[in-house]
Amino acid sequence: PAPGNDGRAPSPPPDGGWGWVVVLGAFVSIGFAYAFPKGLAIFFKEIQDFFGTSYSEIAWVSSIMLATTYGAGPISSILVNRYGSRPVVMFGGLLCGIGMVSAAFCTTILQLYICVGFITGFGLALNLQPSVIIIGKYFLKKRPIANGLAMAGSPVMLCTLAPLNQFLFDNFGWRGSFLILGGILLHCCVAGALFRPIGAATASVKPQVTGKGKDALQEKAMEVSSPTSVQMKNEMEEEGERDCCEKINQYLDFSLFKHRGFLIYLIGNVLMFLGFFAPIVFLAPYAKHIGIDEYSAAFLLSILAIVDMIARPATGIIANSKWVRPRIQYFFSFAIAFNGTCHLLCPLASGYTGLVVYSTFYGLAFGMVCAMLFETLMDLVGAARFTSAVGLVTIAECCTILLGPPIGGTLIDTFGDYKYMFIKCGAVMVLAGTFLFIMNYYNYRLLAKEEKERKSKEGDPNSVRTENESKKDWNRETAQNGPELEPLREKQDALKKEVNGT
Amino acid sequence: SELITSTQTVDSQTWRNPSDHLTLGLVESTAGTSLTTEEFKQTTKENMPVTVVKYEVFLRDVSGSSMEKNITLDHATRIELSCRLDKKYSHLKSLQVTWKRGNETIGHISKTENSWSIQLNIVDNSNLGSYSCTLKDKEEISATFHLQVPNIEGKEKPIISYEGDTAVLICKSSSYTPIAWTWYVTNGSEQIAINDTLLPDKYVINRVSANVTHLKILKVTKEDNGVYWCEAAFELGKSMGKLQLKILSLMVPLKPFLAIVVEVVALVTVIFLYEIYSKKKEKCAKNEREFDQIEQLKTEASNGLENSTARQRK
Repeated sequence: PAPGNDGRAPSPPPDGGWGWVVVLGAFVSIGFAYAFPKGLAIFFKEIQDFFGTSYSEIAWVSSIMLATTYGAGPISSILVNRYGSRPVVMFGGLLCGIGMVSAAFCTTILQLYICVGFITGFGLALNLQPSVIIIGKYFLKKRPIANGLAMAGSPVMLCTLAPLNQFLFDNFGWRGSFLILGGILLHCCVAGALFRPIGAATASVKPQVTGKGKDALQEKAMEVSSPTSVQMKNEMEEEGERDCCEKINQYLDFSLFKHRGFLIYLIGNVLMFLGFFAPIVFLAPYAKHIGIDEYSAAFLLSILAIVDMIARPATGIIANSKWVRPRIQYFFSFAIAFNGTCHLLCPLASGYTGLVVYSTFYGLAFGMVCAMLFETLMDLVGAARFTSAVGLVTIAECCTILLGPPIGGTLIDTFGDYKYMFIKCGAVMVLAGTFLFIMNYYNYRLLAKEEKERKSKEGDPNSVRTENESKKDWNRETAQNGPELEPLREKQDALKKEVNGT
Repeated sequence: SELITSTQTVDSQTWRNPSDHLTLGLVESTAGTSLTTEEFKQTTKENMPVTVVKYEVFLRDVSGSSMEKNITLDHATRIELSCRLDKKYSHLKSLQVTWKRGNETIGHISKTENSWSIQLNIVDNSNLGSYSCTLKDKEEISATFHLQVPNIEGKEKPIISYEGDTAVLICKSSSYTPIAWTWYVTNGSEQIAINDTLLPDKYVINRVSANVTHLKILKVTKEDNGVYWCEAAFELGKSMGKLQLKILSLMVPLKPFLAIVVEVVALVTVIFLYEIYSKKKEKCAKNEREFDQIEQLKTEASNGLENSTARQRK
């Protein structure tokens, strides 16, 4: 009987089927993670009046929430590496719900910091990372589209949450609204339930055994499993003692810091986030500053959100096309630079029409960048290491994300003019885009060179070696894919031994 | 002493088309910062220099409609109200101009080239009201100045609070500083003043800043439901803002919350059940396929045996 597919490379992810349901779940999850902190701003005025604090003290709630969502990234990654996406997202949803429900009963602003800021923020962190990770597990060929669609959750949720929050507030006050929002956040658990565990190599694990009933095999596997599992455990222990670094890397892959693509992405993105969010924060105040009324200023943000909503899936589709996909890093750098140019040109916009044009282009650029934010990282490090990569990237971005708007605010206060803030954001982003473009060009060339070298080393007699190499790669990948493959791997190993025995 | 007129033109309004009217609304809000011409000093009997604030309306078209202008005054001033006619009408000789307050006609109209104005001493509440100038020839054109105390805005939407919680009602005066703030609660049809020294466990009135007042109601109950008034006292009168307080019990948001929780649990259960069901189906289908394969092999084997026995027999 033919042995299992051990020798071949792991079969690709499904790229469809249940994957689209997972995209829906990720849509909801990511949407809440990004849009919820922004949507809370509606309650701030009333909470400020209620507790009698200054505006900056209330703004800390938002900042703490954002900081926790991004800063808890590595913890999220470790948990996903250990337990898989589904339990983490469901626990995150539960945590969000608990956080908001307890916030409804807060009596001091400090309690609000803890309940809304830390607990809900941490829950959202446990939602964001796993959602992005599981897309990488379910999709390969259509991954940019999946990413674009999932990331579109953010503007859609924002457009839904903003009027919903206003409605809740008018009818229930801020306490009742927090209670009900806690319930709404529990839908992240529903999204998590949709994240059926899958390994990148699920299909290849089924061995092609002919002439034997599967039941018979299973029975034998169970008989053999006890000694084999003990054997496997010993094996694993040996491996563990051999290299403790590898063990840590199993939970959070610090070896990524040696990965060239990862470092390029990290530096470029950290730089970019300095100027990414500030213009959104200051768009409405800027509009009011040049004399536009409150509702029209709010409408600018709506235009931005609507264009963003359309731009994200559209960018996903474009990024998936055969011309762009191989050069997706260039497309990403272009999107960032385009974003920066928009900001640089904003001070030239005069009057409401100018600002509407700016909002449209900003929405477009913002959507393009966001849609490809995680796709490019997946493209650089691969789906296996993406789990750890995303955690490390988010904690690094955390600092600059938090610094961006306050620096912009300081510029506005010092010069009394908004244009310096726009120039700063634009300059930073154009710089980041150019940096990424140049470094990725360099990276692509080096990758092509390495590929050529690898191919020239391989010849005909090395078909076995490549098989072993790919098996090693596959084993490493499965080790890093973690528990989603644990039961399958054990079964597969048991079956392998069984098959080899006959 | 010489009498020199001092006019500080605070704003001037032109009647053109609605869009212009809008931009002038902007000018109105930045009153005092734009369009000033000469400033002289006028000395009164008391030898105190008094600045006269001038409000002007520019009448361009004889459309038969009336123009309105709201002027907010919070302290005693001397003002000049002026109606200016477009130059194209300056040829009209038989123009009759009257200044009225209600039914009362005001004399002492000072006329310049194209404008007619009156000077008023606004000392107390009785001086406030609506003053109008009417220019009559074949058709009539008029403009009305509404002199009022500053408007205090309450809240249109009710403020929601929960039983046992603290409710905070806030009133702000936009740019004018009131002399004093008073809070009233509506009991039936009466307005009862809130005395926070009498009930310090229930009410706390706090003047947070010159223009802002807070009323804190502690341990709110259903009886505290209703309309509250904040009254700002200015030199020239009083102004009130209305706020509505709505008290809810905790059951009110709890019901939707529980409904949502039930919905979430139901959805999660359905998803998990569907997953178990589809896995079972997959397993069954696989087992069926394997079973068919085994059957096929068995028949093949038995056929082979039969053939061999057949051959043997042969």
